[in-house]
Amino acid sequence: MPELPKHKAGIIACSGEELAEGTVSRLAALKVLQELRPQDTVTICLPLFLAGGEGDRAFARFHPTIAVDGCALRCAARATEMYSGKPAASIVVNDIVSERGLDKPEGRRRLNAAGQQAVEATAQRLAVLVDDVLGRKGQPASTTTGTTSGVKEQPVQATCACGSGVPVQKLVIEGQTVEVVALPLIFEQFRNAGRVSDEATLCELMETVKVYNPVPPQAEASYRQAISREYAAYCRQETPR
Amino acid sequence: MNNPDPQVVIVPCSGIGKSLGSVGREAAYELCEDLRPADTRLVALSKLVLGDSAARQTVAACPAVTIDGCKQMCAAKMVKQSGGTTIAEVSVVDVFRRHKDCKPEGIAQLNEGGLKLAHALALEVLPIIDQARQAGLAQGGDHA
Repeated sequence: MPELPKHKAGIIACSGEELAEGTVSRLAALKVLQELRPQDTVTICLPLFLAGGEGDRAFARFHPTIAVDGCALRCAARATEMYSGKPAASIVVNDIVSERGLDKPEGRRRLNAAGQQAVEATAQRLAVLVDDVLGRKGQPASTTTGTTSGVKEQPVQATCACGSGVPVQKLVIEGQTVEVVALPLIFEQFRNAGRVSDEATLCELMETVKVYNPVPPQAEASYRQAISREYAAYCRQETPR
Repeated sequence: MNNPDPQVVIVPCSGIGKSLGSVGREAAYELCEDLRPADTRLVALSKLVLGDSAARQTVAACPAVTIDGCKQMCAAKMVKQSGGTTIAEVSVVDVFRRHKDCKPEGIAQLNEGGLKLAHALALEVLPIIDQARQAGLAQGGDHA
């Protein structure tokens, strides 16, 4: 199946505001996003799978995603699978606390010492999982090496307080405006690979588009036409240096 | 709503990437832990996203105040989708416009400006909670 490079791991925390373990999930996710693997990770607020747009719902199909939950209800893992895509990995703070023999975290608003230890332990586990899902086990993290993907960083649609989202492009198909998830990155990948706008390229483009977008069979011909037109236009643009 | 003694449900958004989400959460905690612990109840937004039946029942039975950190208004949308009735949909951005001197910074640890903004937000919500509670009590719902 054609795939875009797995250039970032997604992290989704349950953030469960009712429990100290939910706070642990959020702070551990932040630690990985900001300190341990800042170049390799992105996040999105869980509720955006329902409250946001197609670019938000595509998150776990686009990024190999790790769900971090505070408790056995596993809201982040289950909701991610229901509304976006199956997470590549999933961890529960309570499990890590038990494994490490830590005291129970307390203080959903201000974590106690045990809660802070749980944040550290959960963040460390998350960082290992990030390396795993990106296929970088045993390699240095890109906190020191910078961006590791051949895909240039794209300006994303910053649609929420988490500032993340999958880039989308609007196409007019059969008179309707349709948001095609990840199309800017797909085009860039194909152009960087030197793919000219021909029939073979179009077939592969369509296969890749269908990884991230539902294409109704009855509308496939129209999608092909629109994507062919847009890719040709994209290739005519000046190649960025 | 069919609850003999409805607390007011407070639902902050789960904003993780910017300080405005943290401000909303801090304000929710201040309301539920410091200012009106007996009259309010915090509900985690993630449970509503999952469709947890207990959380949905709580939201459906009680008046709700939602606090959102960005224009997506996830908390407000999810409460509505869960069958709840919002008595206030608070946007942290709007509160900040009224308190420009309280500039929030930090996510895991809010700065002083963020904490002040959260406090200001909580104080704005307080009369709404009190009014809802008084209305509930006037309908004869409270314990003896």
